[in-house]
Amino acid sequence: MISSKVWNIINVSLGLVSILLFLNLIGVTLPTIGQAQYLLDREDPLCVIYTGEETTAFNNLDRCCLEARKLSLCLPDKIQLEQGRIDWSCSAGKNGYLLNNKAYNYCRQQPYW
Amino acid sequence: MKKKRFDAQKKIFYVLLVAVLLLGTLNIAKAQGLLIPNIPLITHQEGVIDLDSLNLDQKIAQMIVVGGHPGTFIPWKNMQLGGIHLFALQTEHIFNNTIIDFQYGQTIPFFVTADLEGCVTPFSHIRNFTSASEIDDIGKAFEKGFREGEFLSKLGFNLNFAPVVDLEDQIWKCRSFPGNETEISELAQAYVLGLQNQGVIATVKHYPGKTLVAEDPHKLVVAAEIEDEDIYPYKYLIDKGDVKALMVTHIIASGKVDSEGFPSVVNENVISNIKKDYGGLIISDEIHMLGLKNYYGSVDEMYVAVFKAGNDVILNFDRNPNEIYRMIQVVKAAVERGEISEEQIDSSVSKILEAKGFVVR
Repeated sequence: MISSKVWNIINVSLGLVSILLFLNLIGVTLPTIGQAQYLLDREDPLCVIYTGEETTAFNNLDRCCLEARKLSLCLPDKIQLEQGRIDWSCSAGKNGYLLNNKAYNYCRQQPYW
Repeated sequence: MKKKRFDAQKKIFYVLLVAVLLLGTLNIAKAQGLLIPNIPLITHQEGVIDLDSLNLDQKIAQMIVVGGHPGTFIPWKNMQLGGIHLFALQTEHIFNNTIIDFQYGQTIPFFVTADLEGCVTPFSHIRNFTSASEIDDIGKAFEKGFREGEFLSKLGFNLNFAPVVDLEDQIWKCRSFPGNETEISELAQAYVLGLQNQGVIATVKHYPGKTLVAEDPHKLVVAAEIEDEDIYPYKYLIDKGDVKALMVTHIIASGKVDSEGFPSVVNENVISNIKKDYGGLIISDEIHMLGLKNYYGSVDEMYVAVFKAGNDVILNFDRNPNEIYRMIQVVKAAVERGEISEEQIDSSVSKILEAKGFVVR
């Protein structure tokens, strides 16, 4: 037999879920954990293009995100380059884009990601 | 008394459970774009389309190219959008099947677009092509276009966003042809002929030039002084008459091309000047890039501006079908209140349908 207290907890939880689902349905979006992570991260975003052995810093983050997205999936990676620390690798063959967490979290917020 | 309270709690539980299930289902349907009203099917008779038979939704939808993410078949097909742009997929077979699925049952086929333009491409894991920077004679440029066209055509693509005719690529160092403006123009012309020989439309880009230059990391939109040599390739290629598509970028231009302090892609003067000598498709660069939206108070204003400027094809890779539908409605409202002329929309749609092989009346 479920106690009255448990019923209350279940009902309040379902009520909250209903409110969130309703808000989402009418287009009200709440900040996500990813957005919070991006805002709290004090690091500078870093995107690096690699073509074979050569790496070049890519200062235009918007274009970097779109170009990286075109290359399928990005996977976690840990690399230390002269430009900075890399956390994600988005590659196609021997070429691709390397991003730190700040850049990756920014990219994930883009509508095409 | 206690039993009554339990009964009330149970009733509330069932009501909330039904609400959660219902709202969850509606949210899933919304995310899949299933709540978007269907746009009526465009019809043609033996390849002839009467433009007056199309409503505004159908016309505006034809002007939009979206990201062809697997899983978006239904909304993109229901809206009868102009095209899909494919990102990397694992194999040639998956590319081919995805395109077949998209095109199946479409009375007006999608433009299926790609960025096969340099050393880092969505196809690099499948096939390596010579980079534009390694091409130093016209024969090789034609062959590059021919081979890439053959590859793309076999997969089902019909529009490639290449060749790059920016005079210098300081970012990838592989997307521009080598040489001065005359040599680059000749190589690009040969590439265009090779690619289009395989039935894939070439797109010269990024007008008006200097897009692939190293940038100030603190600025979202790049400003550049455009010189005669930057626009020479466009004049050369337009004079030759083979170019069917041209992409305008977000760069703020001054000098020989003046975008009046705004990104070129939303400047009416920039685009109307191109149209004086060129009757092919004008394609906007992807609209989420380079802080374009920072120039406007709302995304809606940006949508209107990019159409109003005179672009024929607008790239919007937003994954959310509801947002793409909203874009159509926002632009439609702008046409209805006279902010964008319907003649301009008609002119763009005619060009798009003709490029797809239809006769427009």
